[in-house]
Amino acid sequence: MCLHVSVSWEKVMNDTADTKQNTPSVSLGEALYAAEQRRERVFRIHVGVSWLVMFALLMFLFSGQTLTLGSLEFNTIRLDFDFIQRNLAFVAGGMGQTILISVLSILLATLLALVAALGRLSRFPPFYAISTFYVSLIRGTPLYLQIFFFFLALPQLGIILPGFIAGVVALGLNYGAYMSEIFRAGIGSVGKGQREAALALGMTPVQVMRRIVIPQALRFAIPPMGNEFIAMTKDSALVSATGFVHELMWRATKVGRANFKNLEALIMAAVFYWLMTMILSYIQGKIEARMAKGDR
Amino acid sequence: MAPIVTVSQLHKYFGRLHVLNDINLEIERGEVVCIIGRSGSGKSTLLRCINFLEEPSDGSIEVAGIQVRAHDHSKEGRQKIHDIRLRTGMVFQEFNLFPHMTVLQNIIEGPITVKGMERQHAIELAEMNLERVGMLFKKDEYPNRLSGGQKQRVAIARALAMEPQVMLFDEPTSALDPELIGEVLNVMKRVAMDGMTMLVVTHEMGFARDVADRIVVMAEGNIIEIGTPEQIFTNPKNERTRALLDRYRAAEAPSSTNALAE
Repeated sequence: MCLHVSVSWEKVMNDTADTKQNTPSVSLGEALYAAEQRRERVFRIHVGVSWLVMFALLMFLFSGQTLTLGSLEFNTIRLDFDFIQRNLAFVAGGMGQTILISVLSILLATLLALVAALGRLSRFPPFYAISTFYVSLIRGTPLYLQIFFFFLALPQLGIILPGFIAGVVALGLNYGAYMSEIFRAGIGSVGKGQREAALALGMTPVQVMRRIVIPQALRFAIPPMGNEFIAMTKDSALVSATGFVHELMWRATKVGRANFKNLEALIMAAVFYWLMTMILSYIQGKIEARMAKGDR
Repeated sequence: MAPIVTVSQLHKYFGRLHVLNDINLEIERGEVVCIIGRSGSGKSTLLRCINFLEEPSDGSIEVAGIQVRAHDHSKEGRQKIHDIRLRTGMVFQEFNLFPHMTVLQNIIEGPITVKGMERQHAIELAEMNLERVGMLFKKDEYPNRLSGGQKQRVAIARALAMEPQVMLFDEPTSALDPELIGEVLNVMKRVAMDGMTMLVVTHEMGFARDVADRIVVMAEGNIIEIGTPEQIFTNPKNERTRALLDRYRAAEAPSSTNALAE
């Protein structure tokens, strides 16, 4: 590992030196631009290398090896890889449910958030009141409680929801309340002039909303919505508390407890959550870059 | 023939501030009228009351025979406001193009959404109007790729594509870099020459003198003088008109001495 780092360092230094020598005749502007690009590239390479080092250290920490430095001995954590191997497929199988819950919940949340945001901007008192009441109630109580409410409390009133449905409803309602603020900000970000231009063309208020305001508000809202979705994939772990939804967290705790291997089981789940969020962040970055094109 | 725009006993308050005080104004068909005055004199508010972007506090507005009184919130009143907006085109200081649509989409939006025009027909109409303002070559660009002058020319084409009977211009060149003002004024001149009725709030005295049939001078919410450019520029009756024009002359003096005085 160490060797690898020093090699890339030298390569970078050589690259920099080469470019300097081979470009004596270009204009100052181009030279400055090239230097700027080079600095940016070098910075990215260094960040990448540092990431690799930290990752390697983390791997080493769980490698079970013993490191001897003179008279000092460091014992690293010994994991039961046999257990991991046996249960990897079972735990990984929970990702499907995790993603399904998250996708269904975010769809419900988006719908609720849009309605709540419009209510918040409405001058019709009942609509405004319902919207603010909903947001206040949901934001004022814990998500954990809400999940249990739909799963454990509703049956007392004769409404029995399967764990999966209770989880989706609770997550959707909860995130809808938070996301309504995103949509409200999105709608607020569309300038007054846009509305006026549309009205001057003869559009009705509904047409102004549908054709001019909401498309621009969505553009504004998509990056933060991506963040919410990523957060939701992790909060979906709370649904495991119902005991009837076999998603990632539930599977990890099940095999962990059954075999007294909670350390291995939770590490497995952590790796899968981390992987999923990294992939989702990457996709989000791509979408964001794409949205930026048509804008102002 | 009856005037195409009639403003009668118009008052406007912003909170307690009395920004328009008993305005009466008639615009004839085909006329180009420039409204001048210091900022805060109420000239933009007057223009915005004509298509009800500002709600008049009192009085009435009549456009193309459709009369609406202040505070008419009946269904009929709202329909009339809509009908007036269909007959007036508006150009804003800040352009207000729709940033999520291309130039062409900006222009076909009104005809298709508001008038229910067939798409192909709307595109032909849009291309004709883009040609008119010299912007057809940018029809597939997004507004953020255009200069301020180009944006304003597209905004003019967008308003023209609704085939209005009156065009309202609210300081159309005030947000532009000086070197881009000319292209927009030239397009406006051409629209005027095609016989369009135009009401223009502006600080461009050269344009007012060359293109306007009449000039309306406003101060502190009142119309203090109305006259032909010749009367206003050579022999203003009101002391405040004189002061206003002196200010403009002083501002122009270093580059073009006596450009306004003849």
